[in-house]
Amino acid sequence: MITAIGGVLLRAVVVLSGTAILTFALLWHAPGDPAQAIAMARFDALLSDDVIDQVRQEVGLNTGFWQAFWAWLGPLLRLDFGYSAVTGRPVWPDLWAAMTYTFPLALAGLAIGLALSLPLAILATKRPGGLLDRAAVAIASLGAAIPAYWLGLLLILLFAVQLGLLPAMGARTPAHAILPAVTLGLGVAASLTRIIRSGILEARGQPFLPALRRRGVAGQAVARDHVAPHAAIPVVTLFGLELAFLLEGAVLVEVIFGRPGLGTFLVTAITARDFPHVQAVVVLTALVFVLVNLATDIFYRVIDPRIGAEDA
Amino acid sequence: MRSVALVVTGLVALAVLGPLLAPYDPTAIDIPNRLSGPTQTFPLGTDALGRDILSRLLYGARWSLGLAFLISVLSLIIGTSVGLIAALGGRIADWSLMRATDTFLAFPELVAAVVIAGLMGAGTWSLIFALSVTGWMRYARVARGIGLSVQSRGYVVQARLAGMPGWSIARWHYLPSLIPSLTVVWTGMFARAILGISALGFLGFGVQPPNPEWGAMLLDARVHMRSTPLQMIWPGLAVVSCVLAINLAGDALRDALAKDGQPG
Repeated sequence: MITAIGGVLLRAVVVLSGTAILTFALLWHAPGDPAQAIAMARFDALLSDDVIDQVRQEVGLNTGFWQAFWAWLGPLLRLDFGYSAVTGRPVWPDLWAAMTYTFPLALAGLAIGLALSLPLAILATKRPGGLLDRAAVAIASLGAAIPAYWLGLLLILLFAVQLGLLPAMGARTPAHAILPAVTLGLGVAASLTRIIRSGILEARGQPFLPALRRRGVAGQAVARDHVAPHAAIPVVTLFGLELAFLLEGAVLVEVIFGRPGLGTFLVTAITARDFPHVQAVVVLTALVFVLVNLATDIFYRVIDPRIGAEDA
Repeated sequence: MRSVALVVTGLVALAVLGPLLAPYDPTAIDIPNRLSGPTQTFPLGTDALGRDILSRLLYGARWSLGLAFLISVLSLIIGTSVGLIAALGGRIADWSLMRATDTFLAFPELVAAVVIAGLMGAGTWSLIFALSVTGWMRYARVARGIGLSVQSRGYVVQARLAGMPGWSIARWHYLPSLIPSLTVVWTGMFARAILGISALGFLGFGVQPPNPEWGAMLLDARVHMRSTPLQMIWPGLAVVSCVLAINLAGDALRDALAKDGQPG
């Protein structure tokens, strides 16, 4: 077990280093001169080539790829994201402010998604192949095909423009969060319904259940010791998957609804070629992803003796 | 399987014939008729520059479906190569290629595509690069898994011992096992590529105006939501119906293959 977890940790470290190199390579090879962008932000004026070259030297961009990479990585490891190339303000406070809009939105989306999909999936699996089941599958398929940005626009059209019930743009009041959260939640519900439904069907078909029952194991013990660990695996996998979905969805949804969250932060930064902002978002999302995957990987190994048996 | 054939034929016909059926030039500007609702002359209305929306949708099919096809095939080639090299190249190649795959998987697909396409400068080539480079990992994992399982099968070992050359083992033993599963993965990725193209187009980082691409059309239509709400409905419906058709065809294909008892 210890060596298996060590292997998982080693993998996470390798992947994290890989993400750092990839991110830096992307910024290094992007067209446009980062030194010029930084100089412009710092001095707020059109500059001569001399000044730009001076900045290039200061920031360490005049060296080779690897030297520049180490110079870039140092501050990053101390979670110092530097200064915006556009406003000159430190990156972290602005990034944190954006996250305080995105996290509640993602959580609300997840909550709405669960509240819709769990009852739907449970009802659908009461009679597999029945009318309700087929309806649930149809809704889930349709939901998976509807892009978040179009759904958002349709909701704005219906509830804000036609009915005038809810505000659409901005994030001034809690009511402003309703439409974005519902947009995100409906997308989450579609994918969750599918996964939970097949999870329940699969768990029901397990041959060990009748075997245990016939051996006279009490119902409670069966549920606690056999069904719950079995069901936990897809739930944890799902958490990792939904995290990706929520992040991607939030980016688009925030842009549509004009919420000043991570999505708007990222798109604005890309358009303005604000490299420090872009790199902060990319590095942070990759870090969260790797950590979540690491946690689920370790969790699998703790809960399911079959996984990782081939590593030992 | 009939539904699969139907969907494939329909989509190919749409991409090939669409532009021929279009009543107008999709970029022809007609200011006096701008933002018109559906009329006899303009069946789906016109956009802010008076361009015929039906014609733009039909030409847009070639952009969305054609690019999605290109992107999904490119990532299929990259992913399958990586997966097979990992499976057959020994432990070191396997470990390092799979960690590289994990690294690419560590970025949320769409976020990474937006960053790459945006930083490379908006345009069709950046779009193709961004979506291919973020879309090959699933193929790699599937191809590796099948490669590893086929490698130890009796008939492959026997073929190797009998002195069958490597390429013909690949052709006669690996390919038949790979094709069904990779086709199923491919349908999913094709649908994802359509969604990705339109998402990037909607954010302004994809196909650039005046080219008629469905996501970019949504971006144009969004501003005129109050005056001509229908303008926003059409491109979205086009995306949804294509993605839905492909996903359903993919499900049917998977079920049919599962019944045949194919591996994977």
